[in-house]
Amino acid sequence: MSFFQVNGKCNGCLACVQNCPASALKYNDHPQSRTIQHNMALCARCGNCWRVCPQDAVEFKSLLAGTWDEVANFDLVHCRMCDEPIYTKALGKTVANKLEGNIDKALGQLCPEHRQVLSMASWRKQFDNGDHQPLKEGCK
Amino acid sequence: MIVGKLKPVEEIIAFVSNYKKVAVLGCGGCVSVCLTGGDREARALACELGQQGPYPQAPPEFTALTIERQCERDMVESFLEIPAGTEAILSTACGAGVQMAADVFGHLPVMPALNTTFLGAFDGPGLWRENCRGCGDCVLGITGGLCPVARCSKQLFNGPCGGSSGGKCEISDNVDCVWQLIIERLKERGRLSECMAMFPVKNWSKDRGGGPRKMTKTANQF
Repeated sequence: MSFFQVNGKCNGCLACVQNCPASALKYNDHPQSRTIQHNMALCARCGNCWRVCPQDAVEFKSLLAGTWDEVANFDLVHCRMCDEPIYTKALGKTVANKLEGNIDKALGQLCPEHRQVLSMASWRKQFDNGDHQPLKEGCK
Repeated sequence: MIVGKLKPVEEIIAFVSNYKKVAVLGCGGCVSVCLTGGDREARALACELGQQGPYPQAPPEFTALTIERQCERDMVESFLEIPAGTEAILSTACGAGVQMAADVFGHLPVMPALNTTFLGAFDGPGLWRENCRGCGDCVLGITGGLCPVARCSKQLFNGPCGGSSGGKCEISDNVDCVWQLIIERLKERGRLSECMAMFPVKNWSKDRGGGPRKMTKTANQF
């Protein structure tokens, strides 16, 4: 679906094409018909087309509201404790390649909150085993 | 938006007449919207300058190309390809865009085709009005949304002055006295008392007084 939309009142007069400062509109005359084309990448959304249209045919609101187009889709890695999505598998792979390691293993496949809990638990375990350095004075 | 105005064509011709191949560089940002420096204007300018006209010898060969925003370094570096053999660039961007092109294409002379004129608002088809000076210390909250820095000829903060007559500024009957407008608007909205206190001396160090300004900012995460 085009972001630039015209309603049934458009009569192909080309006022919009002639007044687009960004050259985002063009037309093609085929032997029997005329088509008007719009290039969203060039469009400055200045609204000139909408202003100059003598037919009130340009539905400029569609250029302001737009729609969301899906541009990519990835599988997610979830926290094994709470199931919260934490990163994509593809990101994990990229980071793993850079670090020459396994990100899932490094992060324990845990969200930041549960990584912190786990970290505290391992400290506690060390304390419970008596396998710890004495805390500095003032530390709680 | 930034509003620019095309320089006199004689001035532009003087810039380019000594080169054989010139790229006219449009900008798809503000100057495109204000109808002076976008793709259409760049192509029209290239076409106009390519006529024989006042050139002592053959006119330079002009090529027009436009980038979405000429004031963004990475965008210009990554996506703007100047045709081989280009000897000079004529930019239809604002001053920020011209300087960016000059930075990125340092081996080529880059010349402005526009005079960057003001920060303005679109007031109706074909009409832009200056209403902001970018002073760095906005007072619009107190002045009813009307800027005395940009729109008072004396930049008064405790106006109007004695030159205000019939709602017009003494410099021209075509120029509204912004202090008259401020007072009328605030009065109409029952907020006149807001601007009745004496304005303190404005801190101009946030304007150009502190040298060229810069800003660093990352996108909000939410």
